[in-house]
Amino acid sequence: MVAQKITIEPVTRIEGHAKVTINMNDNGSVDHAYFHVNEFRGFEKFCEGRMVFEMPSITPRICGICPVSHHLAAAKAGDRLMGVEPPHTANLLRELMHMGQIIQSHGMHFFQLSGPDLILGFDSDPATRNVVGLIDADPELTVRAVELRKYGQDIIYQVGGRRIHPNFAVPGGVNRALTADKREHMLAGIDKAIETTQIGLQLMKDWADANIEDIEKFAVFHTGYFGLVTPENGLELYDGDIRLVDREGDELELFSAQNYLDIIAERVLDWSYLKFPYYKKMGWPDGVYRVGPLGRLNACDKIDTPMAQEEWLTYRKLNDGKPVFQTLYYHYARLIETLFAIERTREILDDPDLLGNDILNRRFDFQGEGVGVIEAPRGTLLHHYWAKPNGQLERVNLIVSTGHNNWAMSEAVDSVAKTYVKGPEVQEGMLNRVEAAIRAYDPCLSCSTHAIGQMPIVIDVHDSKGNLVQTLKRS
Amino acid sequence: MKADTLVIGYGNADRQDDGVGWHILKNLAERVGQQVPEDPGAPIEIENETVDLIFLLQIIPELAEMISHYKRVCFVDAHTADISEEISWIKLHPEYERSPLTHHMSPKTVLSISAIIYGSAPEAVLVSVRGFSFEFSQALSPQTATLSQEAVEKIWSWIITRSPSP
Repeated sequence: MVAQKITIEPVTRIEGHAKVTINMNDNGSVDHAYFHVNEFRGFEKFCEGRMVFEMPSITPRICGICPVSHHLAAAKAGDRLMGVEPPHTANLLRELMHMGQIIQSHGMHFFQLSGPDLILGFDSDPATRNVVGLIDADPELTVRAVELRKYGQDIIYQVGGRRIHPNFAVPGGVNRALTADKREHMLAGIDKAIETTQIGLQLMKDWADANIEDIEKFAVFHTGYFGLVTPENGLELYDGDIRLVDREGDELELFSAQNYLDIIAERVLDWSYLKFPYYKKMGWPDGVYRVGPLGRLNACDKIDTPMAQEEWLTYRKLNDGKPVFQTLYYHYARLIETLFAIERTREILDDPDLLGNDILNRRFDFQGEGVGVIEAPRGTLLHHYWAKPNGQLERVNLIVSTGHNNWAMSEAVDSVAKTYVKGPEVQEGMLNRVEAAIRAYDPCLSCSTHAIGQMPIVIDVHDSKGNLVQTLKRS
Repeated sequence: MKADTLVIGYGNADRQDDGVGWHILKNLAERVGQQVPEDPGAPIEIENETVDLIFLLQIIPELAEMISHYKRVCFVDAHTADISEEISWIKLHPEYERSPLTHHMSPKTVLSISAIIYGSAPEAVLVSVRGFSFEFSQALSPQTATLSQEAVEKIWSWIITRSPSP
């Protein structure tokens, strides 16, 4: 048997968010697999020369899926750069909007992107391994899933006044107070959102019980874990210090985001446009870490809302109190965070200060530089700006959530390919598992263009001489 | 909603011709007497007796419910050289198209979700204009700028005459 090279990639250059290359050995097994991000991110350069006050409006255009995260990270970087602390009510409103983003994004991911793999099976017919298949399998759950995402999206709308790209947070606070009727409207949806998430949690746990062998061999590897925490090391998604723990769960660092350049560095590899962050003191590659739901639930010591805390205790028992390192448990962690976000939404809505009118602090003390940090659904998002005294940006650095997980996604692809892909005839279900390894991290590569004709995925199988021996293609 | 017709433009207005949908919607907005900020990519959410207009960075699942309330929907985007017509006009039918790696969603998929979950999918067309340049800029290439004017005329005719095609 001759050696083969399999490439999974979009057809044209400009939709080129990512591709997977699998190099096969002569004996039909996988030699190595790579996850490449082949879209150059030029957004930082694009922002230079713009005013710091514009950034909360400009940066949401980086991503059509998590615009709120960029919106809030930009406002927080602006707070620091302008040397201003937003009033308590403004911080509550910002956090409330952020919880809406977490609920809608996590809800969509579990039920609509990964749910079909779990509920219908990795090897089920790809034509129905999607929402359509889910509707046939469980119509009530599907409608609930859509409603959960809609609930999160509605929080963003009620708080920010726009369905898609809110113009809401500004350096120093927010520009819109909340009315009592909107608060009541949001409160009315809490119980059903919790119920749906609990259905998802039970579904996930049942699936895990039945598929423990897959879980224990699917992209299993150790890393550090990284995420925001409260002052008592509780789970935190809006603000706080960053905690980095090692594979045993022992704390390596607890630091302010303002100092991130002292703690992490970025490695450039010649096969990807996306850089690879790592913990400086441990060096590359020993210092790689993971962010997002799994990273956050491993980096914290508790969750401060009761139902999510109960689930977190169950989650941490999976590895006898040590960090959970199995990639497929990202889905479980994501649902626990959804529960937390809904509970936290209720806490914020019940806060008597929420309806206050003190929402903007204009007493600036210009600093010239500022870092904004937030836990986006996919992980820690950092915006770092440098500006002239008039507020015009001279330099911008963005570390997006997907970037932190770049090494882990590559490792997951390699691991899953080696475990499941066998030649010479590569089956669709094998490649779906490779894709599922990426989906577990919920990467957001949509900072690119989206023109028609861009999205088909092709999988080419080449022999060692470069001859095309197999092509799989789907849109 | 005020009208029974919705035009959805989508794309990244910071990536040159990818944002042609925004420029077309801005022109349509002016035809119904609405002003849109000059900054390409600025939000457009307009309700009007003649036509409702919305611009998005990309297609998202919530659109499924939104479009279920309309009789006619027109999606407007850029296309690459893979499509031979410079202005492509395609009648759409609901069909779930899976995107294995990312969050991308197609108009056909949204129509499919609308039909399955909300019980109705509107009559829908996809108008796509050829893009020639996709660099980091808010200005359309001269060729796409010219084509966008032609596309506006066709879409406006579709709105006003209520014919299935221009």
